Amino acid sequence: MAGHGAVPEDMRTAIIAALPRLRRFCTGLAGNAHDGDDLMQSTVERALSRSHLFEPGTRLDSWLFRIARNRQIDLARTSQRRGAQVAVDDLPDMMGEDGQQTVDNRSDLAAAQRALQAVPEDQRAAFLLVVVEGLSYREAADVLDVPLGTVMSRIARARARIEQVVGRSAGAQP
Amino acid sequence: MNPDFEQRLAAWLDGALPPDEAAAFEAELEADPALAERAANWQVNDRFIADALAPLAQAPVDDVLLARLGLAVAEPRAAALPQAANDNLPWWRRHAIVMGSAVAASMAAVLILSTQAARQPRPDDLSLALETTPSRGTARLADGRTVQPTLTVRAADGRWCREYRMEGGVGLACRDQGRWKVEAKGAGAGPDATAQIGLAGGADGSALDAAYARLGASDPLGADAEAAAMASGWNAR
Repeated sequence: MAGHGAVPEDMRTAIIAALPRLRRFCTGLAGNAHDGDDLMQSTVERALSRSHLFEPGTRLDSWLFRIARNRQIDLARTSQRRGAQVAVDDLPDMMGEDGQQTVDNRSDLAAAQRALQAVPEDQRAAFLLVVVEGLSYREAADVLDVPLGTVMSRIARARARIEQVVGRSAGAQP
Repeated sequence: MNPDFEQRLAAWLDGALPPDEAAAFEAELEADPALAERAANWQVNDRFIADALAPLAQAPVDDVLLARLGLAVAEPRAAALPQAANDNLPWWRRHAIVMGSAVAASMAAVLILSTQAARQPRPDDLSLALETTPSRGTARLADGRTVQPTLTVRAADGRWCREYRMEGGVGLACRDQGRWKVEAKGAGAGPDATAQIGLAGGADGSALDAAYARLGASDPLGADAEAAAMASGWNAR
């Protein structure tokens, strides 16, 4: 592994510049701030240790998103082995049982997270990349390493699922 | 609702339909209120979620976090770089969205460019600030002056250009071979003139009009596009 000392300065600067969006992507993917931070940390660690694999001239943010998504897949496998899977339909109630989450429930962020967590992970990743991070379908397809048509169908299914979960629309707020 | 309609609706919302298909789809929506309502619902949901998540990308990236991530700057030279790249400003992205007061408050965030760097003003301090500071963020130069980038555009020749406020004036600099070179300066609103910097208009842009015309500048980038350009090291897409 290349030590951190081997990471070029401009790359470190670019990673720092990309951190806010990486944090948002990781938090949306993971479902809460704590797991999102863990995912971001794991992503950055991997990016730093593999900085030599980054292709100059390509988008660093996309590269980080790709690493994050792959780390998330690894983490999901681990938690499945632990039997920590949560039935999607139980999620809103479960979140209400936790003190911190109950406080957060008041916020739009918690409502958005509940909707997102009801969407299967691969669809959620596509949705976050395009709708929240503003990537094109082509860019999202590259990040997720799937055909363009797969991104299109995942995003459509994500939106249909969100619609189903939130009832008519999530925007029914004061 | 059939999957074909859903995919076309999604692609239409994302601007991914070819023009003729988009026109045909819009005609379909006009002819069928139920479809149109569904399209509106999706759009509202998108916007709600994007808005709800926006603050996550605005929280400051502080030294503790950088240290935890192994990104803390150690070498003296690096001390001139921003310690935080925050305020990755929100919402003039695809959907125009009204900004809340919480966002206005977050604009007060100041990026300290250097506390330990050389006391002498460095000739490329401004360049460093423009390289790494999001629009509406503030960078403090080693000599104490502050710079506020206000917007980012693309010149007709492909260069990135950024308007900024500094020392009570406005300037426009374009990136050339890794350095931001000042193309024009003018009198304008000072950095304290407003708590909420104009989204697209910049400061008193009139001073820079000639330069903008000469450069054939594009419309200003949205915050996400700007962040993406910054993250890519200002590479051409």
